[in-house]
Amino acid sequence: MKTRIPITIFVALLIFCGGYAALFVAPDEATMHEIQRIFYFHVPLWTAMTIAFSTACFSNIAWLASRRPTFDLLGVASAEVGILCCTGGLITGMLWGKPVWGIWWTWDPRLTSTFILWLLYISYLLLRELIEDPHRRATLSAVFGIFAYLDLPIVLLATTLWPRGQHPQPVLFGGPKSINHTMLMVFFVCMASIVGVMILVLMDRYRLERLRFEADELRVEIESREMDSQPAVQGTAGKGRS
Amino acid sequence: MNNFQFLFTAWMVVWAVFFVYEISVAKRVSHVREEIERLKQQLQER
Amino acid sequence: MKGLRATFTLFAKECRLEFRTRELLTATVIFSLIIIVFFNFAFDPTPAEARRFGPGLLWIAFFFAGSLMVNPSFAREQINDTLDALRMAPIPSFAVLSAKMLANLLFLSIAEAILVPVFSIFYNVSLAGIVGRLILVLVLGTIGLVTTGTVFSAISAHARMRELLLPVLLLPFLTPLLIAAVSTTISLFGEARELDRTWMIFLIGFDVVFFTTSWLLSDFLAEG
Repeated sequence: MKTRIPITIFVALLIFCGGYAALFVAPDEATMHEIQRIFYFHVPLWTAMTIAFSTACFSNIAWLASRRPTFDLLGVASAEVGILCCTGGLITGMLWGKPVWGIWWTWDPRLTSTFILWLLYISYLLLRELIEDPHRRATLSAVFGIFAYLDLPIVLLATTLWPRGQHPQPVLFGGPKSINHTMLMVFFVCMASIVGVMILVLMDRYRLERLRFEADELRVEIESREMDSQPAVQGTAGKGRS
Repeated sequence: MNNFQFLFTAWMVVWAVFFVYEISVAKRVSHVREEIERLKQQLQER
Repeated sequence: MKGLRATFTLFAKECRLEFRTRELLTATVIFSLIIIVFFNFAFDPTPAEARRFGPGLLWIAFFFAGSLMVNPSFAREQINDTLDALRMAPIPSFAVLSAKMLANLLFLSIAEAILVPVFSIFYNVSLAGIVGRLILVLVLGTIGLVTTGTVFSAISAHARMRELLLPVLLLPFLTPLLIAAVSTTISLFGEARELDRTWMIFLIGFDVVFFTTSWLLSDFLAEG
């Protein structure tokens, strides 16, 4: 809690600086002009999503290895926040694609694989909703979470081999060797702001899970005290015939 | 819709998504906190 | 050795159960036939279109039917608590899982053996000269489907709405397998009538990765 306020203020500053820089400081891109500035939100959202889903997978493995409730709670929190970032990325992608490509959507490798990933983690949350027993829910959803995460590189590979590329080539990794220095700086500030916001949201979501867990433990305690306080049921063995 | 409108909409979407989610989490946290207080009181009465 | 013996004993049990009534096989074949027929009414394809879209139709029919077929794998073990009995038996948990995978592989393969000739007749797609290679593609695709399908059946067996949940969990997951299977089959049905090596390696890779993952996580599935 003590560190939360300075972190929040710092992230808020980053958001303000990043937003201002993306809209007014970064130079205009040669071909797409102002619409290219969506890049400063779109790519950081994917990075934030990758961090969130990786955290979810790590938590799933850690739960199976240690059975500590922290990891189950962190798993569901990071999966939900990852879905949030993924949704933002898909929407900003469409808002970028429409003016540039003239279409809202295409079954391009990256878009397809991202949409599949989104579906997989929505299924993960649905699975958790539909299993009542907490221990079973944690274990089975952890197994599914690991499968879902392993599927991602395979989906990306399949859709890359599938001949339908529309999405532009990567700018930073594998793209042209030189990128404008100001653009790079603005990109890193925006990246830090969006990843920072993701971490804050994740902390809050984890806190919600932690409180729910506490509430469940209290309910179990109340139920067990109710059962203890009920009179013991008298057996009838040996009493029947007189 | 011109390019700048698309850009502005994208910017609003990013922050709206996080903001709405954060509000939803905050509401759920306060409900669960009330629930915990109620359960603690119930436990003390037993 | 003990695990292998247990696997084959349980596999024999699954086969005896299924061949006594043949309910699952019948329902799977009929459901797939319905999809194949609906495709004709929905798209009214020309012979050239049938050859082009046929592989996709075939695999969609198998995937949908397969996702329904694997559902009872673990669901029916909950009647009379036979699942608990299997858990308590002194056999590796992967033996139970692999027996069900083998059984599902056999049943779906039988369904496919019936459906592929029917498809070839309905849509005038010639299978001359490609039968052996087609069987190889079907087997590899089906292995991927039943491996992951059986695992997800174990996961969803304990959930509410399991009949709806299993396809929701499984079908997005199988997207890369669908792409690979369809692409390989398209190249086989095409003019060159040859297998695409890249996609074949991909299919084998998918099967190996998820079979291994199932083996590594089988103990946790048994505990769940």
